[in-house]
Amino acid sequence: MITTLFSALNETLYMVFLSTLFSAVGGFGLALPMILTGPHGLRPNAGIYTALDTAVNLLRSFPFMILMIALIPFTRLVAGVAYGNTATVVPLTISAIPFMARLVEGSLLEVDPGVVEAARAFGASDSQIICRVMVKEALPSIILNLAVLAITLLGYSAMAGAIGGGGLGALAYNEGYIRFRADIMFCAVAVLIVVVQCLQSGGNYLYKKLR
Amino acid sequence: MITVRNIEKRYGNAPVLRDLSFSVKAGEIFGIVGHSGAGKSTLLRCFNGLTTYEGGSVKVMDREVADLNEEGLRELRRDMGMIFQNFSLMSRKNVFENVAFPLRIWNSRKPGRDPEITGRVMELLELVGLAEKRCERVQNLSGGQKQRIGIARALALNPKILLCDEATSALDPKTTLNILDLLQSINDRFNLTIVVVTHQMEVVKRLCHRLLLLDKGISRCMGKTEELFLAPPEGLKDLAGEEYALVPSGANIRILFPREISQQSVITDMARELDISFSIVGGKLERYIDDVLGFLVINVPDEHFERVCHHMRQKNLHWEILADDNNAFQRPQ
Ligand SMILES: Nc1ncnc2c1ncn2[C@@H]1O[C@H](COP(=O)(O)OP(=O)(O)OP(=O)(O)O)[C@@H](O)[C@H]1O
Ligand SMILES: [Mg+2]
Repeated sequence: MITTLFSALNETLYMVFLSTLFSAVGGFGLALPMILTGPHGLRPNAGIYTALDTAVNLLRSFPFMILMIALIPFTRLVAGVAYGNTATVVPLTISAIPFMARLVEGSLLEVDPGVVEAARAFGASDSQIICRVMVKEALPSIILNLAVLAITLLGYSAMAGAIGGGGLGALAYNEGYIRFRADIMFCAVAVLIVVVQCLQSGGNYLYKKLR
Repeated sequence: MITVRNIEKRYGNAPVLRDLSFSVKAGEIFGIVGHSGAGKSTLLRCFNGLTTYEGGSVKVMDREVADLNEEGLRELRRDMGMIFQNFSLMSRKNVFENVAFPLRIWNSRKPGRDPEITGRVMELLELVGLAEKRCERVQNLSGGQKQRIGIARALALNPKILLCDEATSALDPKTTLNILDLLQSINDRFNLTIVVVTHQMEVVKRLCHRLLLLDKGISRCMGKTEELFLAPPEGLKDLAGEEYALVPSGANIRILFPREISQQSVITDMARELDISFSIVGGKLERYIDDVLGFLVINVPDEHFERVCHHMRQKNLHWEILADDNNAFQRPQ
């Protein structure tokens, strides 16, 4: 049982790590134009901001299960297959990008506008303000949000496990629930709890350290 | 140095600056004073293009601010330092890095820049007297120290003009004087032109050579500081005279405390015996001929006014009701 648990944990970490990585990059890339064109941004542009804002809301309102099924053709295109651990990374990433974009947007909005204004007053360009002031000041909060993202993706990956992906979710559902192996189910859930705790504590630690 | 002609500024339909014209001479300390919302900060931000204006002209060092493109604006700003009410330092950088920030922005591709930057930053930190704090995080500094760092940062690029937006409003009186002395000495040593925005009269009196009084975006008066304070026009009296703001509703009562009356017990006894609450609006120690040591101004809601009067009469207190304009008052019968 220990070995099954370990290989399931391995699969889960694989899915969570890759999808966190990709959606962090994607979410960051989406958050920057939102911050730039937002109402208090450096280059306010209501048109672009509304478009991005609406797109993010739209994607976020899809239930993950539905999104995953709707994305099957796309997943097959990207990953070559529609099911399995690697394939699951695709819908996980797509569903988490708008979520991460919101989190990063929130972190960047928390940066003291006075500090941004000061940088402008010394002649900093927009790109310098974003890289050297806003992202730098918001870094601890962005990292904390990264832990939130990873934990959310952990939950989703468990859900995805129930319909074709692997990992701890699949183990708990297929072996534990369907085949009445309560011990396996409890162990899988216990491991999930530990992973969530580790992610959150790691995030909190880095936040405190970087602040 | 700065010449403003008929400047007009609106936010939506609300005019914020209306038909202002004045100029700031090279090497002087120029004060812009007025009540909150008068448009002082807005006017200051027109000088370095942090806000735009709709009409008129602002010429800074012979450059029309509205005509500058992005690059031109950045170069103008390089020649103008700015300090802020809340210091606006980067919380995650230490003292040294905060001061170095403008230098790093402007010399990012210069070879051999690091020793040069280090030298310049240390020079600036010596100037503001905080060299030994160079590795400290800015959160661990006091308000006065933070503003010194703000000043050092503003001077990093050798600006010709220093803009100060309420630079001392968040500081206690003693620290305020320290910062003002520092600004004064910078003005003397480097012949730096300084524009000071403030609502604190002591700042103006101590620092500014000339001042402009703004009221709702309009210039009320302008001239040499000492002349204006010797014969203050109406608007300036408003701003200078008021020691405490009276609460507009209810009755404001000044209770005088001669030596034989203990202050605490009078106020607490009244609250306890009448079982009402009132707020303390202000107070001061003052010396009168009949040996009064101090007073407290309290604000009593209208419905309790009669009972409070009755109580004070019973206790033989010395008191008076303050009318809206502070100086005139009626003696109670
Ligand atoms: N970004 C803005 N959008 C809309 N109105 C604004 C904006 N900034 C300032 N105002 C308005 O412009 C007027 C002048 O503001 P300003 O900040 O220049 O006043 P101030 O004299 O600096 O006041 P204070 O002493 O409180 O700093 C105020 O009525 C304010 O409400
Ligand atoms: Mg202001």
